Amino acid sequence: MVWQREDKSAYENFLKKHKTILVFFMFLFVCLSIRLFYLQIIKGNKYRDISEQQRIHNTHERAPRGIIYSADNLPFAENKFTYVALYHPYERHLKPSEQVIQELNKILGREIKPTIDKNWRFGRVIKLADNLSMEEMFKLQEKKLSLKGVAVAKESSRVYCSPEVISHIIGYTGEVRSDEIEDLAEHGYKMGDYIGRGGIEQTYDQYLQGKDGGWQIEVNARGYQVKAFKYIAPEIGASVYSTVDLKLQQVAYDALNNSDTGIGAAVVLDAKTGAVKALASCPGFDINVAGNREFGKYLKDKRLPLFNRALQALYPPGSIFKIITFAAAVDLLNIDPSEIVECTGNFELGDRHYVCWNKLGHGKMNIISATAQSCNIYFYQLGLKLGVRNLERYAKKFCLGQRTKIDLPNEKKGFVPNPEWKKTKVKMPWLQGDTVIFSIGQGALWSTPLQMAHMMSVVANKGIHHKPYIVDRVIDLSGNKVYEHELELGDELKLSDNTWTLLHKALLETVENGTGRRCNLPGIKVAGKTGTAQNPQGKDHAWFVSYAPADNPELVIAIIVEHGGGGGINAVPIGRKIYEAYFNLEVLQEENREAKK
Amino acid sequence: MIQEKNFFQHLISNIDWWLIFATALLMIISFGAIYSAGVNYGTSIRYLSVQCLASGIGLVGLLLLTSINYQYYKYLSKFVYILSLALLISVLIFGSVKRGTKGWFDFGFISFQPVEIAKIMFILTLSAVLDLKTNEVKKWYFLLSAFTILTGHLILIMMQPDFSSTLSYFPVTLVLLFIIGVNPFYLGCIVILGGFAVGIPLAKTFLNIQMKFLESEIVPINILNFLQTGSGEFYIIVAILTLIIGIWWFFWKLRIKIPIVYTVVLCVAIIIGCLASISVEKSLKDYQRKRFVAFLNPNVDPRGSGYNIIQSQIAIGSGKFTGKGFKKGTQTQLGFLPEQHTDFIFSVIGEEGGWILSQLTLLLYFMFIWRALVIAKESRDRYGSLVATGLATMFTFYVVINVGMAMGMMPVTGMPLLILSYGGSSIFSSLCAIGILCSIRMRRHTHVK
Repeated sequence: MVWQREDKSAYENFLKKHKTILVFFMFLFVCLSIRLFYLQIIKGNKYRDISEQQRIHNTHERAPRGIIYSADNLPFAENKFTYVALYHPYERHLKPSEQVIQELNKILGREIKPTIDKNWRFGRVIKLADNLSMEEMFKLQEKKLSLKGVAVAKESSRVYCSPEVISHIIGYTGEVRSDEIEDLAEHGYKMGDYIGRGGIEQTYDQYLQGKDGGWQIEVNARGYQVKAFKYIAPEIGASVYSTVDLKLQQVAYDALNNSDTGIGAAVVLDAKTGAVKALASCPGFDINVAGNREFGKYLKDKRLPLFNRALQALYPPGSIFKIITFAAAVDLLNIDPSEIVECTGNFELGDRHYVCWNKLGHGKMNIISATAQSCNIYFYQLGLKLGVRNLERYAKKFCLGQRTKIDLPNEKKGFVPNPEWKKTKVKMPWLQGDTVIFSIGQGALWSTPLQMAHMMSVVANKGIHHKPYIVDRVIDLSGNKVYEHELELGDELKLSDNTWTLLHKALLETVENGTGRRCNLPGIKVAGKTGTAQNPQGKDHAWFVSYAPADNPELVIAIIVEHGGGGGINAVPIGRKIYEAYFNLEVLQEENREAKK
Repeated sequence: MIQEKNFFQHLISNIDWWLIFATALLMIISFGAIYSAGVNYGTSIRYLSVQCLASGIGLVGLLLLTSINYQYYKYLSKFVYILSLALLISVLIFGSVKRGTKGWFDFGFISFQPVEIAKIMFILTLSAVLDLKTNEVKKWYFLLSAFTILTGHLILIMMQPDFSSTLSYFPVTLVLLFIIGVNPFYLGCIVILGGFAVGIPLAKTFLNIQMKFLESEIVPINILNFLQTGSGEFYIIVAILTLIIGIWWFFWKLRIKIPIVYTVVLCVAIIIGCLASISVEKSLKDYQRKRFVAFLNPNVDPRGSGYNIIQSQIAIGSGKFTGKGFKKGTQTQLGFLPEQHTDFIFSVIGEEGGWILSQLTLLLYFMFIWRALVIAKESRDRYGSLVATGLATMFTFYVVINVGMAMGMMPVTGMPLLILSYGGSSIFSSLCAIGILCSIRMRRHTHVK
């Protein structure tokens, strides 16, 4: 009865087909196994990552930036904390529901209309309300269950004290722009991060940046939180201690602001170390409104408030350059105060005619009185004697035409001309007349106020000088010094002793009896030089550079008042105010007055 | 006839222990996976107890069917067929509706889906008919009688409507016809017919979705637009027919004589397929069609029709080699996996048990099917062989479609994974099928009735 025996051919036929089917089924199972192997073994890591990604959400809490202190430990830049109500979008709920908004409006008594702006990307939170009071914050926390997806977070924002005065040295912060992100991504920045712009905020950004924190939470398929894994508290950035003295800074800024034009810059350096005691550029701007709509007015302002004149503006040094001409002449030509030149107010060179600022002439001048009176005629003939090569060499020795490498961004280099430059760029040969105006700091000579202050520190220390710096140390949260400024000695400028003695004498004379006599302070010897830089665009720039006390210099000052006219009248009083503030002279005067009464 | 006390001895010595071993292991895996899948919803215990109860009833059925001689079904085939139709009709009248399908008898604490058992009855009936008419294999009405039996079931199931259940009838029918000796060419034509009937509406849907996805890309939208219009479809079909006739003519010229009957049958099959596609298009709902084609490119609609496939693939892939551990699968426990205790149970195993367990599951299935085919080979008569092959095909088809779907190779059809998926009727009918296989196995020697 068994069909295998009964109908042999039919059974064999069946076996053949049976085998086909077995092979076919085997093939199907092999296909499934290959796919399984591919998914789990070959692509396993990728899918594991995806499954982790869709289950773990990181909420981001931005860390406050580090605090910037002045030299006397007053905070320049601090953080203000406010509570904000945020909405965490979850699966298919990009906006909070109507119910949630109504509830929220009831609690806060505000009219909240959540909007998603076009920059919104998935995963970012939507801000519903800011500046919440403590009370409101607690109320929201209580009603947390009915407010699905709403969270309260602490948010820090930057506040600056005396924002206009310190605007250029501190800078401000702003969100990373999309055009910068490519370069910054290498340094760990991401979209939405804040970065310092201008000033210390920019140069010391890496220290000021804190470590961002947040919650790592597990969410289910609907996007609700299932459990929180861990909370990483945001860590504030390191504190930056600057060398700037807020009092001097304030005085310098106010003095500049009250000058005739209200435009200019003042640089105050510590003569011994090169530390920046004050660095003011006027007009300043309110760094607290940076990033707001209000900020636009500064961009439109013709006085260029965003421009840090102290190290970005290039001015002809004018008569201040006579210091260098002086030093070169004494050092190379051994000029003696006994050598006298008659100033008639006029100077003829070939068919060109040069004048002294005093058209009547200064009369008989030696090198000291010529410096004190800033006599152009005397320096014209010195310049001719020295020649352009020597002037260029000495200008560079006094660090002109090169950056001081101060730790502030966007410093300008300045320029020292020479015959080759004129030939290639202007396509004209260097003339004797060019040397003549070079010797009094005009022509194609360009320098920044910071460079002038730096030059003065070279003079004050008889050739020894330090790189200027504005940040002394950076101290992190746990109190470790993560950065400390090391004094950086520049190449010593070696000139004969006679040169330094004569130069100091001349500069002292300038303040005591010469053009700088408005800075003649009781009890403190000030050495300095005024300058009135001619300017084809308008009124002359008023310069004043000086150091004090003359026999043991502590402070070096460079001041420029843009279009301020004569240096002796407009720039010198500003220097005086700074000295008075530094040496506490106004207090002494008042005490004296009270004593007289 | 053997003595009553000898029956159990005989059962133990002749039962296919490999088959039972594979089934038992799969059931253990199933219980674990169902338990884990329910943890998040707090339904573990309920699901597991229902499954255990159904398995218990199924085991009784298994023993009962093992002891009954399968050859009775052959003689009672008409009765079996009428019973199956009666079940399907009564569910249309008395059944309750679940997920839009009127396919359940609701007994309060447990519900029963008659279509599951009807499938097995269909295999028994069809095998009997084919066995009876073996000598008429070459006759034209042979296919007709086979398809009449099929159509009776299909119409009743489509009235529920339960599209996915009808799918399992086709491979079983085709394989049985193939085994009995029907010319594979005609079977091929039937496949082509079915392919056109279902393929055209699905291809349209796919192009439609794909076009929305591509939108501004350079892909020639004109062509896609053209394909979507009725006339475009018509031109393509005409082109295919011309090509077939052309090839036939070409061979004719080369003096390779292919009977013209083949060409005509092929062309007729294509035309009928196209005409049938119109009714299929109407009967399928839009979301069904989208779900069906989503596996081709699930990223087109990652939150809609492609969601299931994407999440299932992530679940399986993220299991890696050793898996995330029992009850520790994040996809399963956090609700990313849809239908995790039924259709996507394999994803749960893949995620929590890793490659080791999922590959073991596949191997166990293959072992099961291999044993079923061995039973078919060793059966004492053709009827037994046909029934065993039919059951093996049914299991294979379910596994390939379901596991393929979980791994993103197959369309989402809503087919459960037999033995593994949660579902009382499906585990009961699976165990009954195993009982029939055991019955065939036991009676491979002549002396047992």
